[in-house]
Amino acid sequence: MTQQEITRDEITAVFPTIAATMADALGCDLDDIKLDVSLIEGLDAESIDFLDMVFRLERAFKVRIPRGKIVENARGTMSEAEFEQNGLVTDAGLAQLRAYLSEIPAERFKTPTKVKDIPRLFTPETFCKLVISAQRSAKAAG
Amino acid sequence: MANHFAAFSFVDRITGITPGVRARGLFAVPAALPAFPSCLVAEAVGQLAAWVAMAQVNFRGRPVAGLANETRFHGDVAPGAVLGLAVEIDSCDDEAVAYAGRATSGDALVIELLDCLGPMLPVAEFDSPEALAARFELLRGPGAPPGRFDGVPAPEIVRGAGVPGESLAAVLRVPAVAPFFADHFPRRPVFPATLLLDAQIGLALQLAAEAPDLPAGTQPTPVRMTHVKMRSFISPGEVLALDAQRAPTGGGTGLIMLSARANDKTVSTARLEYAPRRVA
Repeated sequence: MTQQEITRDEITAVFPTIAATMADALGCDLDDIKLDVSLIEGLDAESIDFLDMVFRLERAFKVRIPRGKIVENARGTMSEAEFEQNGLVTDAGLAQLRAYLSEIPAERFKTPTKVKDIPRLFTPETFCKLVISAQRSAKAAG
Repeated sequence: MANHFAAFSFVDRITGITPGVRARGLFAVPAALPAFPSCLVAEAVGQLAAWVAMAQVNFRGRPVAGLANETRFHGDVAPGAVLGLAVEIDSCDDEAVAYAGRATSGDALVIELLDCLGPMLPVAEFDSPEALAARFELLRGPGAPPGRFDGVPAPEIVRGAGVPGESLAAVLRVPAVAPFFADHFPRRPVFPATLLLDAQIGLALQLAAEAPDLPAGTQPTPVRMTHVKMRSFISPGEVLALDAQRAPTGGGTGLIMLSARANDKTVSTARLEYAPRRVA
């Protein structure tokens, strides 16, 4: 099953726990955690917050989420060379990124997009997808 | 380099290790010290986890203070005591080490660390990988000579404004020069997060002691510290604005929200739970 096949129902199912976990990690109100809010630009999240959220989500859902691999997860089956060149996301990579981050409005994708700026796009929905992918991997592994 | 592996090192010997999984160790608290605060006990546990993590990645990376989601304070440690240290590694790779740990003094549990995570950074930025690898072998073998730690100078803290019993501010001036910077770390001196937390606990207890609802004949005592998050390194000579705010709680414990800012940027956040204990 590819990441694009994650359904709205699956996201709706995990979102309440993810929102509560993120609010606790970021020290913000639960109401501030919307599916489509930018974690960096909207909630002032920093790199340590991303580590914190992944760490807490692993415990909340009892899954393993490879730390520092969110971009790789977004890259899907593309090779690194196909996805980026000299720190910039390729056209094919950008298409993949738009598909993976389908909840993000098109105008938020800059051209060119620097790889280091990809986390600026991340939203709670991105983390819903990470968790669902990890749950699927765990289930597949038995 | 006399202070390297001495001025801020809290593992004397690693007595048992399953690589990448768990370890046990010892640290003899020098008897001549006036006190040995709980934050340094936590530092000792974290340092044992750091040795396991660094060895696991062949000294390419070293963990730095990041997250400590829960620290439980069970008791004090007297100078002269020998700490028994134990860590369980939940996961460890080039990105981060996740671990839990504890310290005992005799048969008594004195501190527990739960759900801690240290981001791994290139070790060569902070120290000599070769020197660390050699030290690890020494710790795993005969161990380092005890009594190397001479204590740390108390940082200058100036109390600021606040609302009695509700909030309290202070300014902490990180020393520009101190022996522990040669150990933490030789190539990049960083003010240890545990020293900041020790200062913040002191501020929180001052605030709690002034609360009008503190029962007579009691004093506030730390129970748990949660949500510790270090957002950036603190350099020698930096000036930190500390803030402590009481938060409402439903039980018999009090809660204080703590933060430290440098140049208008938050460098750390934490929460301290305390309980009133009867003064003997």
